[in-house]
Amino acid sequence: MLLSQVVNGLTQGSLYALVAIGFVIIFGTMNLVTFAHGEVYMIGAFVGYFALSVYHLPWWVALLLGMAAAWILGVLIEKMAFRPLRAAGHMPPLLITIGLSIILKDLAVVVFGAENRPVPSVYETTIRVGGVSVSVLQLVILALAGALVLALQLLLKATKIGRAMRATAQDHEAAYAMGVNVNRVFNISFALASALGGAAGVMVGIYYNTVYPAMGGTAGLKGFAACIFGGLTSIPGAILGGLILGVVENLTVQFISSGYRDVVAFVVMVLVLVLRPQGLLGKKLRTV
Amino acid sequence: MKRSLRSFAIAALLAVPVLLVGAGGAWSADPIHIALSAPLTGNFAEYGQLFQKAIDLGVEQINAAGGVKGRPIVIDVGDSKADPKEAAALAQKFTSDSKIVAEIGDFSSTACLAAQPIYDRAGMVQLSPTASHPNFAPGSQWSFGIVGTQAGEGPFMARYAVQKLGKKRLAVLYINNDWGIVSKDLFIKAAKEMGADTVAVESYFETDKDFTAVLTKLRGQKPELLYIPSFYNEAALISKQREKLGWTDVTMMGPGSLYSPKLLEIGGDSVNGLYTSAAFFPKDPRPEVQKFVKGFEAKYKATPNTFAAVAYDSINLLAFVIGKVGTDRKAIRDEMAKVRDYPGVTGNITFTERRDVVKEYRQLVIKNGEFTLYDK
Repeated sequence: MLLSQVVNGLTQGSLYALVAIGFVIIFGTMNLVTFAHGEVYMIGAFVGYFALSVYHLPWWVALLLGMAAAWILGVLIEKMAFRPLRAAGHMPPLLITIGLSIILKDLAVVVFGAENRPVPSVYETTIRVGGVSVSVLQLVILALAGALVLALQLLLKATKIGRAMRATAQDHEAAYAMGVNVNRVFNISFALASALGGAAGVMVGIYYNTVYPAMGGTAGLKGFAACIFGGLTSIPGAILGGLILGVVENLTVQFISSGYRDVVAFVVMVLVLVLRPQGLLGKKLRTV
Repeated sequence: MKRSLRSFAIAALLAVPVLLVGAGGAWSADPIHIALSAPLTGNFAEYGQLFQKAIDLGVEQINAAGGVKGRPIVIDVGDSKADPKEAAALAQKFTSDSKIVAEIGDFSSTACLAAQPIYDRAGMVQLSPTASHPNFAPGSQWSFGIVGTQAGEGPFMARYAVQKLGKKRLAVLYINNDWGIVSKDLFIKAAKEMGADTVAVESYFETDKDFTAVLTKLRGQKPELLYIPSFYNEAALISKQREKLGWTDVTMMGPGSLYSPKLLEIGGDSVNGLYTSAAFFPKDPRPEVQKFVKGFEAKYKATPNTFAAVAYDSINLLAFVIGKVGTDRKAIRDEMAKVRDYPGVTGNITFTERRDVVKEYRQLVIKNGEFTLYDK
């Protein structure tokens, strides 16, 4: 029972973590919080829905299409909403993301309709490991989340653009002076973060068998919480934050009551932040 | 040049009356304004939009048949965003507009209860298609509910579970709002009187989509039947996730709020064997039901569900009452309270002295991906 809840929590947490990593990348490179991330995730989920339910494509094609759509959306948002306001400080871009989140959500209601859309399941079989039932899909999601994070680390550590991103994260003026195309780095970072959000959206759609325009709200909130919990600029921290959030929620349901799942999760988060204001794995120095 | 300008002016002048007639339709009389307060955006947007679709269809049919006493009906729509504060603000707006004669809405019992004092003070009929909280309609002389209350449906479902299906160990997973709480309480109370034990009770919030944790917990209590007072989207997800967890030795049951083609569409195979009830059944041969179902299918390419049906009944009932007594707000209320045996698509509507209705429910079970009548 306890182990099943931990597995449930880890699956849910790995989805939070994917959203959280998006926040980390954006905050790390651009020093900016976006509230439209949940809606990018929702658009990714809808693209995944159309690929799976309407065009009957394999799930991994749906995942790639969802990520591609979110990537494009990310490029557009960065170019149109953030670049013109780069010198304007923190507040205007923040407000723009709130506006964008409302626009995207209401646009989705107009274009797709408000109702829940069914998404077919994949890998529905459950296997029992030592008295714990785990669905194959849960394992696939965990593996996929892990693979995406590894690929991201590889990109950051071993490629030129990754180096440019890390340099920009440390000091974007210095990076600019050293010949880094900061605009391009910002654009790619934002698109990358959006694509991860899109991936999370598609997987959530498959895992819960449904997509709907309002789905980004809670996801964005939980992902943002996991990101702060983990340390705002640390990718391993965001993953840890997401997983802990997921597991704590599920254990709360088991041992206290389902009504308290968010309460306990956020109380734990606040306590950690009181004791460690930089988050679990956050450093004083800002790095990706 | 001058001539062409003049002929343009004449043409424009001639066009004006044509445009006016075009804009106003063929009506010579002033329209009758009825307000609709429904969640068109937000978490309950799907249900609010069903209200709007069904009411648009109803208005179209009424106006096509000559309107009410020769006057067309116009709906003034307000979006309550599933937020009780918004519902109250809309109530202020509607009641202070002297053109509006009555109001339909809101969706959730919570929003209806929040707006109730305002309609009550201003003296305007508040006709909710869906509020089934037993305290809603008795709360004001001006409030009417036509979906039946949980005081009727809760015990009905308990009889179905305990006496018909013979289940003795029950668990409940309910949506944590006014309606969910009262549905749960009335079901559990009735089941207890019939000798069944409720071994586990859990709740969820309206934005929750992950039920794996709560289902894992409920499963530990080994109930024979899981009763879910919730809406069809969540019920479908609960059922799916139950299946994925491999929990197959439990019977699922829920009230009429589950009755929708969407439950089958999202729930897939996992909802086979789920028991529910309905006051509205699209295959009902009665002419008013068929007129509604055919009209809805032609206009929206989808089969209507209970939520659409009660909204359709609301507008038709209001039109019927206004047709009898005219547009005075007080006269509408007094006549509404006297309605007996009005043939709605959701069954006969007869208001009790509490201004709600007693519904006749049918027992349904899902077989091979279809709702069928349970006949044992």
